[in-house]
Amino acid sequence: MVINLSPWDVAISAALILVSAGISIALGLKMEKRLAYASIRTVVQLLLVGFVLQRVFEINTVIALLPVVLFMLVIAAHTASGRPAFRFRGMGMLSFSVMTVTSLGVTITATGLIIGVEPWFRPSYLIPLLGMVLGNTMNGVSLATDHFLESVKEKGHEIEMELALGATRWEAARRPVAEAVRRGMIPIVNSMMVVGVVSLPGMMTGQILAGSDPTVAVKYQIMVMFLIAAGASMGAMGMVLFSYRKLFNCRHQLLGSILSRR
Amino acid sequence: MDELLSIKGLSVAAGGVTLFSGLDLRLATGEMVAVCGPSGSGKTSMLRAVAGLSDPAEGTVLLRGSTPGETGWPEYRRSVLFMDQRPVLLQGTVRTNLSLPFTYAVNRERAFPEEEAAALLETFGVSSARMDQEARSLSQGQQQRVCLVRAFLVRPEVLLLDEPTSALDQDAISSVETILVEETRKRGLSALVVTHDKAQAERLCDRILNLSDYGASGEGR
Repeated sequence: MVINLSPWDVAISAALILVSAGISIALGLKMEKRLAYASIRTVVQLLLVGFVLQRVFEINTVIALLPVVLFMLVIAAHTASGRPAFRFRGMGMLSFSVMTVTSLGVTITATGLIIGVEPWFRPSYLIPLLGMVLGNTMNGVSLATDHFLESVKEKGHEIEMELALGATRWEAARRPVAEAVRRGMIPIVNSMMVVGVVSLPGMMTGQILAGSDPTVAVKYQIMVMFLIAAGASMGAMGMVLFSYRKLFNCRHQLLGSILSRR
Repeated sequence: MDELLSIKGLSVAAGGVTLFSGLDLRLATGEMVAVCGPSGSGKTSMLRAVAGLSDPAEGTVLLRGSTPGETGWPEYRRSVLFMDQRPVLLQGTVRTNLSLPFTYAVNRERAFPEEEAAALLETFGVSSARMDQEARSLSQGQQQRVCLVRAFLVRPEVLLLDEPTSALDQDAISSVETILVEETRKRGLSALVVTHDKAQAERLCDRILNLSDYGASGEGR
């Protein structure tokens, strides 16, 4: 059984933040306002999410689920396409499409096929899983896209040299494409390397705190790591490959001028 | 002489401004033509458009009567090979850079001609012992020579050279010019050579094309 937290319990954890703020004031670090703002945002955002999730879980229909999923996807796509230093027209839409197909695809495979939840869209499973997959896919997509676009812009003369020697657009772009996908995969590969050794993942910790058998929690965590890795890699590959198709035309020309700096 | 490359009604624009228009040029097999003009007249843009690296505003380029699309763009570019003013070499050894074009599908029938590469390096004044040296550690002048060697190894039919001696010392220019002309003639290649130096144009080429004759306003045509 989960030990429920009273408002007082939460207030005690907030008191720890007050200690940090006190130290900041004493040392003149000027971090106290930011800390207070971040703490208030945490409380407001999570209370809102808790309220919305409670309602969605109660209603338990696709119609109730859809706005939440759409909101998550839009925010993730906007963040992923907003981080790279360079951009091109239609990048936000591309990011949204790639993340929808990869993250949602991976999550629905998990709920419908792997876990076998009935119905497959049960919000109490789909939303948390999608959140974990989406968060990591967003990072993978944004890192990979940033590296790819920067390579194309900064090393365009190398790509054009290869095109001039008779390379196809793919032969000329394969190095930056491969490197960008590798960069996008670094965070998740690193997490997979140290999972359970350096830190216990949040989901597993949550399940154990909620009273689950650790072996069940471990199996779920392994599945989640694979889902996250699949989502992040497919997202990074998808975004880089579609960006590549935007940046090279059928005449095997590099269209570097469509990129603009933010 | 056979007509190898035919440029018809070529117009090139940059940033919405027409640099030149209505350029017609026929390049025969083995012919070397210098492209001259003041800076900003579109010399490099012209070579890039002829190489198909960028689209012209108007006009067509035909290789033996076929458009690049009919020939296949990679095949066309291997035959009509553009070389940048700056020496562009990838990270890796001289050998890696010289063998790069032989990793492309367009050259799949040819293996990297190692002996020819070593001989050409020596011809251009770069010791073949440098084959395994990091290419980017060479001086700019030597990098430019490596780029010229790489271009010849691909065996193009037309060389599009943008200021081919720009990275060389004054002393080296004349020897590289001589080798460049000798190798081009020996191999029966044609060339369009962009240069701002009229004297060099006269030394290297059979005739001179002045791009300012094709200025946007059409004056002097």
